[in-house]
Amino acid sequence: MRSPRFPLLVALLVIVAAAYWYVHSRRAANGETIAVYHTKLDGTSLGVIRVSMRPRAPGESAAEHLHNEALYAAVEAVTGPPSDVNAIRFPPGTHVRSVAIDGATATVDLSKDVETQAGGSFGENGEFKALVYTVTGLPGIDAVQVTVDGSRLETLPGGHLELDQPLRRSDW
Amino acid sequence: MNLTSRFAAPIGSLAAAALFAILSAAPARADAPLTVVYQGQSIRFSHVDSKGGAPAIGVGDPGFAALLRSTDAVLTWKPGERYVLITTSVPTVVSFAIGDRRYDIGPIVLQAAFAPYQRGNEAYLPLNEVLRGLDLALREDGATKVLQPQLASLEVRALRDRVTLLAHGGAPLHPRVIAQSASAVTYAFDGVGTALVGTRQINTGGVRSVQVTASGTVRAPVTTVIVALAPGAAARAPQNNGERDVVLAVTAGKASPQSVAEESPTPEPEPSGTENAGNASEANASGPAIVTSVSSQASDSGVIVTVAVNGNASFTWHRLRDPDNRFWVDVKNAQLQGPPIDQAAPSPVISMRARQIDAATVRVALTLGQSNAITVSPSSNGLQIQVGNDAVSDDAARSGSGTIGSIVSSGEQNPAPVTPAPADNAPADNGTTDTGGWKFGPRSSYVPANPRLIVIDPGHGGSDSGTEHGGLKEADLTLDMARRLRDILVARGWEVKLTREADVDVYAPNDSAHDELQARVDVANKAGARLFVSVHANAFINSGPSGTTCYISKPEDVPLGHMIEAQLAQDGTKDDGVIKAHYYVTYHTRMPAVLIETAFLTNPTDYALLASAAWRQKVAQEIADGIGQYTRAYPASNQGAQ
Repeated sequence: MRSPRFPLLVALLVIVAAAYWYVHSRRAANGETIAVYHTKLDGTSLGVIRVSMRPRAPGESAAEHLHNEALYAAVEAVTGPPSDVNAIRFPPGTHVRSVAIDGATATVDLSKDVETQAGGSFGENGEFKALVYTVTGLPGIDAVQVTVDGSRLETLPGGHLELDQPLRRSDW
Repeated sequence: MNLTSRFAAPIGSLAAAALFAILSAAPARADAPLTVVYQGQSIRFSHVDSKGGAPAIGVGDPGFAALLRSTDAVLTWKPGERYVLITTSVPTVVSFAIGDRRYDIGPIVLQAAFAPYQRGNEAYLPLNEVLRGLDLALREDGATKVLQPQLASLEVRALRDRVTLLAHGGAPLHPRVIAQSASAVTYAFDGVGTALVGTRQINTGGVRSVQVTASGTVRAPVTTVIVALAPGAAARAPQNNGERDVVLAVTAGKASPQSVAEESPTPEPEPSGTENAGNASEANASGPAIVTSVSSQASDSGVIVTVAVNGNASFTWHRLRDPDNRFWVDVKNAQLQGPPIDQAAPSPVISMRARQIDAATVRVALTLGQSNAITVSPSSNGLQIQVGNDAVSDDAARSGSGTIGSIVSSGEQNPAPVTPAPADNAPADNGTTDTGGWKFGPRSSYVPANPRLIVIDPGHGGSDSGTEHGGLKEADLTLDMARRLRDILVARGWEVKLTREADVDVYAPNDSAHDELQARVDVANKAGARLFVSVHANAFINSGPSGTTCYISKPEDVPLGHMIEAQLAQDGTKDDGVIKAHYYVTYHTRMPAVLIETAFLTNPTDYALLASAAWRQKVAQEIADGIGQYTRAYPASNQGAQ
């Protein structure tokens, strides 16, 4: 004879599954946001666009989550704001090759396209200010080491900004 | 113990595990290769899979890599990472996350047919969604599969006196006007298909409706956009804003009862919470409100700034995040009575400004000493802005809105603005230029070995000519200005040393940027100079930016930078202020230093100035005057009489 508890167990299973789905979807809806900065065309003031992140996934450690956030933030910062926003932008084609976190420093490896600067210090200063402000906006990261195609540079060719040391917000 | 508590945890775990398995399980088999035609070229996808009938593509697929290259897109992912990010040529970030059906195209959050997954060292993405991110669609032409560029979006921005349609496509867009009458204009977009087929009613700004239809063939698609016009409305010629973006604009007829005041030619997106500007216009049928005064008063808990407003108006307020501690409130449909206000205010407010920023908006802006808590309280006769002594919490509202006058409302507060905050357009007009908190730079403790020596560094030279534009070389211009500056300073009794006297590298030809810059720093440091002044000309990728900027790095550089910039503000270029930056030469010199970007070679007006010897002489004179002002205000402890 079938146990009278069986239908109850099935109902409970359905309820718990529904509750899990609800909580999971609520968490997804309430994911964190990160502030992605861009430098405006006055060369110094910052605009910000908040980008929503996915919540930390089951099994994703805090270190992995920070790494994933930093990668996302760096890619967004280098990509820049929507095209109708006036902002200083990295040279076309510049992209993030990888991001690594070591303590409170995020190393952002950029493609060599970043070396095709227009000249002058205006673009260079605004680009890196936005990147550093964005990545150091993440909790636990206070400096950004920039590398280009895997190598640490002293400055960009013909550039002004010192890149062989991690950059911080206090550098601006 | 009841049944629920006995079984909830194990059943929950079981259910969670089952759901997780359903959501993240990789399919067991790989599908046959998929060959598609894109822009006449055949691309073979071999790392193909499917899930629930929807195709998946492996990110390591050579065909996929070729597709990304042809669309100027870049994929960022490494095994083990959660996000698979594609930066498109727009540029926009298309983000996927392993195990998550959600994917984002820029700010738009969407749901994919299935969640991306990792198998071995390769991530698999839902192909149709990837193509959507690239503004492409998979179409069938008989037995052949074709990647068809799409007219991916047609964003309607409706104002009262005009409508702009921003068309974006997966291929260069060059719309043709194929029919035009007083009541409609028809544009044909060759080479792009679309899924936007349908009609949208607009009924404002001179546009009645917009209808989109798709025609042509799979390989030669045509998307047609028919804009139905209101009487008197006029359509402008399509304007490309980048290859894949086109603006179609319609202006309402003069007789339109809905025309409004002139709009800024390049409006910045407004933060959310500003939608009620129209309310004020309704409330103010009798005319604009008048901002009669702006005053501040210290209180026990901080400062109260009172904005007196006579009439009905709406307002929006915004604040920036630390360290840019500016707050402003825009009073809409209002006029400022009297001249602009720019004055100091009691701590914790540093300064307070009020001005008419456009025909119908008065902006009241505060610069704060730190990230103070702020309360905005509207009343029937204006606004009270309470600036507290305590710091604002990080999750506090950053913007809000409300109304003033006969219908008072504090409106909404928006804790997380999703659009860029507009600048207070006068960041440097109050002596509080953002120099990282160094409002007043400290006196330098540096003791120069030669207090009468000033080192001038003409930027670039030799194998590095700096920026070049229209036949002018930065290295030549900087040397010319440096020589002129030297002559003036020498005539005033200073000793001057140039880091280079000719068009040469200071360290060695084709040296590294580091060696070259260090050599320039060494000239000043080894000589124990009093000051270091590096002279440059600026450039940008377009002709927009212009003006003079002084870059500084160290706290003791601040007054030197400000005093030189104050003089240069008279040279006919735009004053871009003093900017702190980690520049090699200003950072590594031991003495107060400044790097002057005199003007932009890439801006036509600035170019003409740079090309003028008289202007370069004027610049040299002004730099010398700034140096003179600085050395009088900040004499070195061992400096003799000038």
